[in-house]
Amino acid sequence: MAVKPAAPPTRAALRSRRARGVWLTHAALILAILIISAPLIFAVIKSTQTSSIVLSPSLLPGGAFFQNLSGVWEDAHLGRYMRNSLVVAVCVTAGKTTLALLAALAFVYFRFPLKGAAFTLVLLSLMLPTEVLIIALFDLVSRDLNWANTYAAIIVPFLASATGTFLFRQHFLSIPTSLADAARIDGCGPLRYLTHILIPMSTNTIGALAVIQFVYAWDQYIWPLVIMQQDDKQVVQVGLRKLIEVGGQTDWGAVMAGAVITALPPLIVFTALQKQFSRGFALTEDK
Amino acid sequence: MNRILLTAALLGLTNVSLASAQTTVEFWHSFGDAKRSGWIQARADEYNKTHSGVKVVPSYKGSYNDSLQATILAARQGKAPALVQIFEVGSQLALDSGAFQPVSSVKNVDFSDYIKPVINYYTIGGKVNSLPFNSSSPVLYFNQDLMKKAGLNPKQPPTTYGGLIKACEKIEAAKLDTTCFGMSLNGWFIEQWMAQQGAPLLNNGNGRQGRATATNLDSQAAKNIFSFFKTMQERKYYTYTGKLEDWDGSDAIFTNQKTVFHITSTADIGNIRDAAKKAGFSVGVGVMPIPDGSKRNGVVIGGASLWISKGVSKPQAEGALDFALYMTNTQNMAEWHKLTGYYPVRQSSIDLLRKQGWFTQTPLQLVAFNQLTRTVPSPATAGGLNGAAIQTRKIMEEGVQKVLGGQNVDAALKETKARADAALAEYNANFK
Amino acid sequence: MLSPGRARPTPDAAENAVFRGRALPWLFLLPSLLILAVFIYLPALQTLRLAAYRANVILGTEQFVGLANFADLLSSPAYQQVALQTLVFTVLTVTFGLLLSLGLAWLASRPVRGAGAYRLLLIYPYALSPAIAGTLWLFLFNPEIGLINQLLGELFGVRPRWLDTPSLAFGLVTLAAIWKGLAYNIVFYLASIQNLPGDVMEAAEIDGATPAQVFWRVAFPLLSPITFFLVFTNIIAALFDSFALTDILTRGGPYTGHAGATTFLVYQLYQDGFVNFKTGVAAAQAALMLALVAFVTWMQFRLGERRVHYGS
Repeated sequence: MAVKPAAPPTRAALRSRRARGVWLTHAALILAILIISAPLIFAVIKSTQTSSIVLSPSLLPGGAFFQNLSGVWEDAHLGRYMRNSLVVAVCVTAGKTTLALLAALAFVYFRFPLKGAAFTLVLLSLMLPTEVLIIALFDLVSRDLNWANTYAAIIVPFLASATGTFLFRQHFLSIPTSLADAARIDGCGPLRYLTHILIPMSTNTIGALAVIQFVYAWDQYIWPLVIMQQDDKQVVQVGLRKLIEVGGQTDWGAVMAGAVITALPPLIVFTALQKQFSRGFALTEDK
Repeated sequence: MNRILLTAALLGLTNVSLASAQTTVEFWHSFGDAKRSGWIQARADEYNKTHSGVKVVPSYKGSYNDSLQATILAARQGKAPALVQIFEVGSQLALDSGAFQPVSSVKNVDFSDYIKPVINYYTIGGKVNSLPFNSSSPVLYFNQDLMKKAGLNPKQPPTTYGGLIKACEKIEAAKLDTTCFGMSLNGWFIEQWMAQQGAPLLNNGNGRQGRATATNLDSQAAKNIFSFFKTMQERKYYTYTGKLEDWDGSDAIFTNQKTVFHITSTADIGNIRDAAKKAGFSVGVGVMPIPDGSKRNGVVIGGASLWISKGVSKPQAEGALDFALYMTNTQNMAEWHKLTGYYPVRQSSIDLLRKQGWFTQTPLQLVAFNQLTRTVPSPATAGGLNGAAIQTRKIMEEGVQKVLGGQNVDAALKETKARADAALAEYNANFK
Repeated sequence: MLSPGRARPTPDAAENAVFRGRALPWLFLLPSLLILAVFIYLPALQTLRLAAYRANVILGTEQFVGLANFADLLSSPAYQQVALQTLVFTVLTVTFGLLLSLGLAWLASRPVRGAGAYRLLLIYPYALSPAIAGTLWLFLFNPEIGLINQLLGELFGVRPRWLDTPSLAFGLVTLAAIWKGLAYNIVFYLASIQNLPGDVMEAAEIDGATPAQVFWRVAFPLLSPITFFLVFTNIIAALFDSFALTDILTRGGPYTGHAGATTFLVYQLYQDGFVNFKTGVAAAQAALMLALVAFVTWMQFRLGERRVHYGS
C-alpha cells in the first residue's frame, strides 16, 4: 500500500475536511439520483395523465392511473402477460435453485469418476448464452420437441444454472466437513442433509441467487419473442412492445402505466430479499 | 413402449371418431385488437351455429410475420391450421413454402364479384391462390383546420408531389409551428408510387412471369420517388419518428397536429377520424399524391388474404374455404368495411353500401374507393411478388433513410438496387 | 454469472467425499446435465452444422455451402460495420457504466446521514428491464411528441432528430444502456464496499491520505475482484441485453454506411434468422458470436486468476 506519508493532519482539520466532503457527497448523490430517476418519475407521472394531456409537456400528475391501467390490463391483455411472466419467472427461479442445489451437493460431498469433467461441462455452459443459440434452439424446441407456444419452451431450457451450481458449491465448501461427517454418522442421508442442514444454512445464498434469477427470467425478451407465436402465452416484456405497436393510436398513458406495473414484481422480490441479497454476495466475497 | 402405442392408438381413434362427427377448422389471424378479432370471432360463432358439421376456431397468432412462420412450422409437424391470414408481401414466400394449396383448386369459386385490383394481386400463374380479406391502399390525410390557417383550400388537397410542395411553402410561410408532411417510412409506399407511375418494381413482369431477379430501382420512376424525399428533407417539409415502419408513431404525429399532411393506409380512416375528433380538428382524405406529369395508374392492394393449408383433410379444406367465403360475403364485407375502413373487396358489397347511403354519410371513404376502382390493370398495379419481399421492403426504406441523411439520390438508388438485387439472388439461390 | 475472481474451471482439492454411492451423485447431477446437454450443447453443435448450409426455415431448404457463410460475413462491409458498432457500444457502456456506478456506490457508502435511503434509491432501478428502458426512452425522445423535444423546442428552439440521426441514435442507445445497467453494478459495488476492511481505510486517512488517494490507492485495488466480475457480466449484457432496448427504441436504425447505426450483433442475427429467414447465415453469425463469448470467458478466467488483488 503506497500512501503518501504527508504531515498527519490534526483531528480538527480532519473533521472540517470531512464536513465539507459530507456536504459535497449529499449534493452529488441527490443530483445523481434525480438524473437516474428522471425517466422513472416521468413514467409514473405520465401513467397518471389522461390521454388528452399525456402527449403535452405537462408534468402535473393526474388521476387517471387506474383508468389507464385497466385499459391495458384487459384490452391489451397486460394482466395475462403478467400472469405468464410470473409463472415463468417463479418456475425458472425455483427450478434453477433446486437443480443447482442438487448439483452442488454432488460436487461437494461425493467423490466420483469424471467429476472434473462434469464440473467443467457445467461451467463451460456460461460461454453459451441462449441468445446466441436461438437459431438452433428454435428448430429443436419448435420442431423436434414440438413445444412452440408452451410454457415449457420458455422454462425448461433455462433450468440448469452454472452460476447457481458454482455459488452453492463455493458456499458448501465453506461449511465445515465435520458437520456432514456427524450427520452421516447419525444415519442422515445426503438428501436429508441437504434439506435439513444445508438449505437452512444457505438462505442468504439462495435469496441472493433467487433475486438474480427472478430478474433474469422476468426480463426475458428475445427468446419468448421468437418461440411464443401465440399471444395467450406471451410474456410481459414482449407484451410491452405490443402495447406500443397496437396498429392504431398508441395510448402512451396506458403504455406508461403498463411499464410501471411491469417493473413492480422484480421490485417486490428485490425489496423482500434485499438482506439476503447483500449478505449472500458478501459471503462469497470472503470464504 | 406398449403403453405409448396404446395411447397413440387411442388418440388416433378419438380423432377419427371426432372427425366423423365434426370437422374442426383452425383459423389463424393477426388481429390482436378487440375490435377486429371480436368481429372475426362473431362471424365464426354465427357460422358454427348454422353449420353443425364444422367448427371454426379463430385464434390470434401474433404479427403477420409470426403467424406465417408459425403456420409453416406447424405444417412441417403435420398440424397446419386449415385457414391462415397472410400479408400480401408474404405471398410469394407462402407460395414457395409449398405449405398451401390454391383456393381455386379446393372448390370452384366464382371470383367475378371481387374487385379487379384485389383479385389480380392474389392471382399468380393464372390461379387464385388465396381469398382476399382485408385490403387497403394508401391515401393522403390532411388537417383541414391547419390548411385553412395557412390559406389553403381543404376542398382541393394536393394530388401531386409538386402540389404538395407548393402547399408546404404556404404552410411554412404561415408559421404554424408544424411540419408540412409526415408519413411512416415504409417500403409499401415506394411500391405504391412505382405502381402509380405504371412502373413495375421488379423484372419478369413484376415477378409474376418468373422469379424476379432484379429490381427496377434504376428507373426514372424510382428516381422520382427518391428525389421527392430529397426535396422534402432539404426544405424541412418532412418528419417521422425516425424509426422505420413506425405506423403508430407517424399517426400520432399527425393526430397531434404536428403535421398538416399525412399518408397512410385507408385502414386507418376510422382510427384517425376518431383521434382527430378527440384532438379537435377535422380531417380530410384525398388521393395519394403522385409524381408530376405521371398518369395516375392506381394502387396496389395491401393488407392480407386467406390461405388454405395443403396438409389438411378434404373436409377441412372445404370447410375452411366455405367459412372464408361466408366471412367475406356481401353483407359481411360491407360491415367489415364500416367497422375498420378496410375495403369491401366485393363489388356487390360496394353496391350495398351505396344503397345504404354510406358514402354520402362518410365522404372520406369515397376517395379511397375511387382510387382503388379506377386502377388501371397492368403488371405494375398487380403488385410485385418476390420471396424476399420483407427484406427488399426494408432495404428500400433504408435507401430513403440515406437520402434523408444527406446522400444524393443517384448514389442512394444505386446502392439500394444493388442490395435489393443481392437479396433477390440470395433468395433465389435456395431453389438451385 | 460468476463469483468475483474465483472462477476455477476445475474443482479444487477440497473434496469432502462424505457420502458414498456411485449412482447417487450422477442422479443429483442428471437434471442439470440433461438440460445443459439438450438445450445448450446440442443447439451449439447444431448451430455449427447449420452455419455450413444455405438454409431457409420457411422453405425448408438446405444446401451445403461449406465455409461460404463465414467468408461472406467476414468480408461483408455491413457485418464489419455491425461488429465495429458492437465493439464501440460495448466499450463505452462497460467503461462509463462501471466508472459511474463505482463512483456512486462509493459516495453512497460514505458515512453520511441518510446513506441508507440513497443506497435504496440508487439500486431500485434494478427492477427495470431493457424492454421497459426502451419503452421509456422511446416516449421521451420521440422527435415530435416526446417530452425532451417539446422542452428543447420551447426553451431553445431546437428539436434534435434523436432516432434518425446516426450519431444521436447511437449515443442515445448507449446512454440508455448505461443508465439501465447502473443499478445492477451499484448493487454489487455496494455489497463489496461494505465488506472492505474499514480499519485499513481509516488508517490510511489518519496517515494523511486524501479521500481521492484512499479511493484510488486503497479501495480500488481491493475492489478489483468485483470490478473484474462486473466487466465480464457487463460485456455479456452489452452484447445481449441490448437487443430488447434497440428493438423497441430504434429497431436497429437509422441506416448509415452499410448498416443500421444501432444494429448490434444480436440484432443482426435476429433479423437474418427470424425476419429474413436466412437460417444458415444467422447460424454462422451465432457461431462467430459463440467464439467471441468463449474468448471473453477465457479472458475472464485467465486474467481473473492472475491479476486480481484479493481482499485479505
